[in-house]
Amino acid sequence: MATEDVRPAGHPLRRLGARRWPRRNGHPARDALIGAGLVGYAWIAGSTAPFSGKALVSVLIPGAVLGAIAYGRPPERLPAPDKLDITGVSYWLICLAAGFEWEASAFKDNSLSWHPSLTNLINPLLDPHPVRSAAILVWLLAGWGLVRR
Amino acid sequence: MTTRVITIVGFAFLTAVLIALEVIGRRRTSRIPTVGEWLGYLMRPRVGRALILLGWWWLGWHYFAR
Repeated sequence: MATEDVRPAGHPLRRLGARRWPRRNGHPARDALIGAGLVGYAWIAGSTAPFSGKALVSVLIPGAVLGAIAYGRPPERLPAPDKLDITGVSYWLICLAAGFEWEASAFKDNSLSWHPSLTNLINPLLDPHPVRSAAILVWLLAGWGLVRR
Repeated sequence: MTTRVITIVGFAFLTAVLIALEVIGRRRTSRIPTVGEWLGYLMRPRVGRALILLGWWWLGWHYFAR
């Protein structure tokens, strides 16, 4: 990763032009309609049974739509930083590596009950329909957030 | 304390640290990038953008379709 120290401690430069929150675009009715559509889609997708064809289609559709938007008609993207502070990034890398190691050790042990994987812990939490739908909504919004990056 | 509890505490601890990094990264004087910043950096090249979006889709498939 081509990173280097770019912001000394105390330097006021942050965000590099990226807005922390998106501006209102002047289309509240359209936004409300899209929001309602996403909530409805998440509710329907959350009702599908795992390992079913409907469940697969319910995640294929957002993937295809966002993929088409990302490469066919991308929205205005938030400016990304040209460089990252290597020290700051290292904190993330250490934590993510530790998380992967923790997950891999559970996976290696076949996710036994005495060392469950993250998936084994999260899946029961996602069983209730409202929780599953809310998680799908968060996933959809995260996907949109990534497309704007 | 059973090994199951230790495992759960480990995941909870790591999650808490990741949240703390994001909160610290949002401070104006912080050198730690936010998730959005380092993801944006990784998504600058076309292949990085494709891989990150693929990872997002995989998460949805993993947790919601199977």
